[in-house]
Amino acid sequence: MYYVAEINEEACVANKGCRLCIMYCPEANCIMMNDEKKVAFVVESRCKGCELCVVVCDAAKHKAITMQDR
Amino acid sequence: MSKEKIVINPEFWDIIPQDYRDLVDHATYGKTDRGWKDVGSSTELIAEHSLCAGCPESIAFRHIMASIPAPEDTVMVGSTGCTSLVFPMVAVQNIHSLFGNQNAIATGLKRALAYRFPNQTKDVIVLAGDGATVDIGLDMTLQSWFRQEKFTTICFDNELYANTGGQESGLMQKGFVAKMAPQGKKFEKVRLPEIARESGCAYVAVLTTSKPSLVERVVKQAVLIAREIGPTYLQIYTPCILEIGKQSMEGLQEMRDSESAGERFKFREFITPEAQAFIDDMNAKKKADKLAASANN
Ligand SMILES: Cc1ncc(C[n+]2csc(CCOP(=O)(O)OP(=O)(O)O)c2C)c(N)n1
Ligand code: SF4
Ligand code: SF4
Ligand code: SF4
Ligand SMILES: [Mg+2]
Repeated sequence: MYYVAEINEEACVANKGCRLCIMYCPEANCIMMNDEKKVAFVVESRCKGCELCVVVCDAAKHKAITMQDR
Repeated sequence: MSKEKIVINPEFWDIIPQDYRDLVDHATYGKTDRGWKDVGSSTELIAEHSLCAGCPESIAFRHIMASIPAPEDTVMVGSTGCTSLVFPMVAVQNIHSLFGNQNAIATGLKRALAYRFPNQTKDVIVLAGDGATVDIGLDMTLQSWFRQEKFTTICFDNELYANTGGQESGLMQKGFVAKMAPQGKKFEKVRLPEIARESGCAYVAVLTTSKPSLVERVVKQAVLIAREIGPTYLQIYTPCILEIGKQSMEGLQEMRDSESAGERFKFREFITPEAQAFIDDMNAKKKADKLAASANN
């Protein structure tokens, strides 16, 4: 079983320029921008489940990321 | 010089791993204004590695790899420690040196590159832990500065030997108790930034990796000043969350706490007048180019 981050497209405000989770995720090429939809998404196979993205997204009151068991 | 170096013979394209194809298609080699803003929409020059979940070394690595001005013409020199677990997954030429020898290797490398490619600019960047930079490699670190070797030294300061389980390092804080240093450190944290300044570094900065825009600015300055003027040194706090007993998501807050007023990683930089004049000149030229470009539109 894996523990990974998941981004709720409705709550993500990347269209307003937010890049917090992309900035601070320790893993490279792990949270990416969907340039068409203008939302961030997680490449699950690269996620180590550290939850730092949840911390920064919640601190900015966007609350768009939750952790999931897979 | 740009991506030409990594482009694949079309006949082999179908057997090339996807990660490599992504680099060819979407990495920012050759982009003159590359920076951390590219991340998320381009392929980064660092891939899946084995650092702990949430490790700030990993965040710092990402910010640095996004910021180095000319990755296709850069050779990095690493040393033993947690950083050496990342280098095999870095898409910039790099050399692993014996623990502590990194600044000696970089010296020879920089000189050889200048000799071999007299008409090209080649940047050399050392990236090593505090144990490698300040303890075992201190002689090589200092001698390269005394000799005014033109490359950048970056120290990932996590204030202990992380890779071997938490022994005392010269950059550990006084009184700090670690797993393998149970009596607490008896001496002050070595003031390497000040030593770097006095040893002839043209530019020195102390920071954490909590602000990618700041990391980008100092990395670019450090590399460009090293190209033109002399040695440069960056000391970046990358706390070892594992050894200081933090959770995987607490590294960023730890860095922010350590950079408030009066704390040991409050941002500071030293720059020689010559290096400052060079940077001012470069910024003035950039401004003039921008103005000229907008006038043409
Ligand atoms: C010549 C030599 N001496 C000792 C070691 C054992 N060793 C491996 S990593 C390490 C500590 C690295 O500490 P640091 O440079 O601070 O990097 P960190 O792991 O903290 O990022 C030591 C002592 C070695 N590999 N080679
Ligand atoms: S931090 Fe949250 S709101 Fe911002 S881009 Fe990431 S998921 Fe979207
Ligand atoms: S949980 Fe950690 S590794 Fe996974 S996406 Fe979030 S910040 Fe990145
Ligand atoms: S041991 Fe410490 S420095 Fe090394 S990868 Fe883990 S958290 Fe990072
Ligand atoms: Mg260390």
